[in-house]
Amino acid sequence: MNKKGVIIGVVVIAIIAGVAVSFSSTPSETVNLDMSRTHGTISTAMGSPILGDPNAPVTIVEFGDYQCHQCYNWFHDTKPSITRDYIDTGKVNLVFVDMAFLGRDSSPAAQATYCAEDQGKYWEYHDMLYNAQEDKIDGGWANGERLKAFAFSMGLDMELFESCLDSGKYSKRVQYNTQQARDHGVRGTPGFFIVGSDGQLQIGGAQPFSVFKQVLDQLV
Amino acid sequence: MTNTIKFVFSNPKYLVLSFSIFIPMFIGLLIMSEYIFLEPYVVSHLPRGSELGFSLIVIISALSALVLPMNVYRINILKSSTKKMGGGLIGSLVGAAAGACSCGPIGFAVISTFGSVGATATAFLTNYEIPLRIIAIGVLAITYFTTVKSLKTECKFIP
Repeated sequence: MNKKGVIIGVVVIAIIAGVAVSFSSTPSETVNLDMSRTHGTISTAMGSPILGDPNAPVTIVEFGDYQCHQCYNWFHDTKPSITRDYIDTGKVNLVFVDMAFLGRDSSPAAQATYCAEDQGKYWEYHDMLYNAQEDKIDGGWANGERLKAFAFSMGLDMELFESCLDSGKYSKRVQYNTQQARDHGVRGTPGFFIVGSDGQLQIGGAQPFSVFKQVLDQLV
Repeated sequence: MTNTIKFVFSNPKYLVLSFSIFIPMFIGLLIMSEYIFLEPYVVSHLPRGSELGFSLIVIISALSALVLPMNVYRINILKSSTKKMGGGLIGSLVGAAAGACSCGPIGFAVISTFGSVGATATAFLTNYEIPLRIIAIGVLAITYFTTVKSLKTECKFIP
């Protein structure tokens, strides 16, 4: 009887713990199925999945190009602090919207991220591109072969990925996103909109964490 | 060489000209290269790995502020030809253009206006930012030495 009681107790505790963990953890990648999704005045329906808690009170909309070295600087210098202090704590979430304008490899690189999204690896692929970025625009680091090599190294289904990338399945999606950037007066990458309940504020360029902190602390 | 600099800049007019070249050029290049941001707050930021680019901007601005007033002096006072002024101007312009056209508003405007030709041009200026700035410094340095030599000869400076 005692043994039975202990086993039942352990099972009940394990179930309660599992449920608690699943409710408390912040989802890191939520695939967007809402085709009318907007943040402030920006249509983000064709953008990235939401990074962080979808219910966070503030959203950072980042317009970027995978070949932009200032985006690389922001990704490495500023984004880690924002992730640590605001995204991981559920105060803010982030959506990346492509503004692919710098060179011929910019659009395919953006399309490749959505091909990775099809396999649930958008953010992993996004991060890989910004970690692998090289100095030269259109220097070959983001050509078709390299984009496929990145996918291969992540263990994606290569047949699916290659057919997606080669068919240009997400070409229009990237064009739509780039047009969103133009429509909102973004004149360079990275460009940001901090969207809260009271409106939105534009920040241009790879600005340091101190600037984002000042803006976000007012809104959160 | 020092005598020549002292002689030219002993005239306050050329000292003012030098500062009025250095300050706008330096600040302008820092803004274009995204070392200074004006909105939403005025803030300066030197990302890791961009120290060399920053140093080259300082050198280009300083050399431009040194060479251009000396050439203006040579033209004004000695009524010399404007030929040697070209090197200083070209050096300053190349140095300013390199790196300024990338992901920022200038690059975006050039690409939006000129399409693929603009994209190729901005990619070139971005990809070869450091070599172009070093070339610009070389051009400015050569212009400086030829200007000093010219002033020494024409003004009969005693070294």
